[in-house]
Amino acid sequence: MSKVKHRQLAAEEANMGFQIAPMIDVVFVIMLFFMVMAGAVKVERELKSQLPGIAPASPTEEKEMPDEIIVGVEESGAVTLNEEELDAADNKVLPNFTASLARLKQEADNRGAKVLVTIQAEEQAKYERVIDVLNSLAKAKVANVTFTVGSDQGF
Amino acid sequence: MAGGGGGGDGEPEFQIAPMIDVLLVLLIFFMSITSAQVLQIDKDIKLPVAPDAKKKDGKNQINEGAVNVAYKANKAAIKFGSLSWEDNLQGLVDRLSEMKRNNPSYRIIIRGDRAVPAVEIQKVMNVIGQAGIDDISFSALNNDN
Repeated sequence: MSKVKHRQLAAEEANMGFQIAPMIDVVFVIMLFFMVMAGAVKVERELKSQLPGIAPASPTEEKEMPDEIIVGVEESGAVTLNEEELDAADNKVLPNFTASLARLKQEADNRGAKVLVTIQAEEQAKYERVIDVLNSLAKAKVANVTFTVGSDQGF
Repeated sequence: MAGGGGGGDGEPEFQIAPMIDVLLVLLIFFMSITSAQVLQIDKDIKLPVAPDAKKKDGKNQINEGAVNVAYKANKAAIKFGSLSWEDNLQGLVDRLSEMKRNNPSYRIIIRGDRAVPAVEIQKVMNVIGQAGIDDISFSALNNDN
């Protein structure tokens, strides 16, 4: 009787040890989960802008007039560059628009001039489309942007 | 021959301890990059996508505030902190002016729903301009998955 009890105790003691194999299994599964999640994670990005009014004026400095480009954003989603529609209204990436902007920027840089883009969005144009345009401007490295919506009031 | 790894004549054994070390480091790395960047924004707002926008630097969070512009039932609801406005935005101008007075380097992030009409965002920019804040940025997502 006491022999059987002793054997049971020995078996329990043997099983009390830390099991490394299942731990590695679990760690692998958790790591795979986080690796997969890392690719799909949504990160907040920002498109910086500057509102007028605070910037100090420098009257002594002679200012060269920048090249002004008018970008229209219509309610239908159409984006125009100096009244010319380059991409389809449902194209989010706006490849032709971005390429044209980059060309204009390059050409202005070569002349040492600045590029000023004015975004004229229709009142009911979607904000998403305005962000698409701002994204293209960021891609083309155009920094000077002003906004006009609907009426003549704008930033 | 002295030195080198392994030593001895037998087959090199698989070392479990360094493998666990490496696994745990990888686990912590992936955990940190997934959890640290999870969005903490208003669930009512579906942000637009701008993959080429700059990454937000989390350093200046004390100096920045977010104006959320949600769009429900064809109406824009503007939120700043726990307060919200719909038509009369004078209260928001006062609130933002106060923030700017207390902290001159205060900046605003506009988090607008992708369906919001452009005119509503212009109204918000107008309010921010009236409050004397010139440094703004538009919030967007890196992808839409």
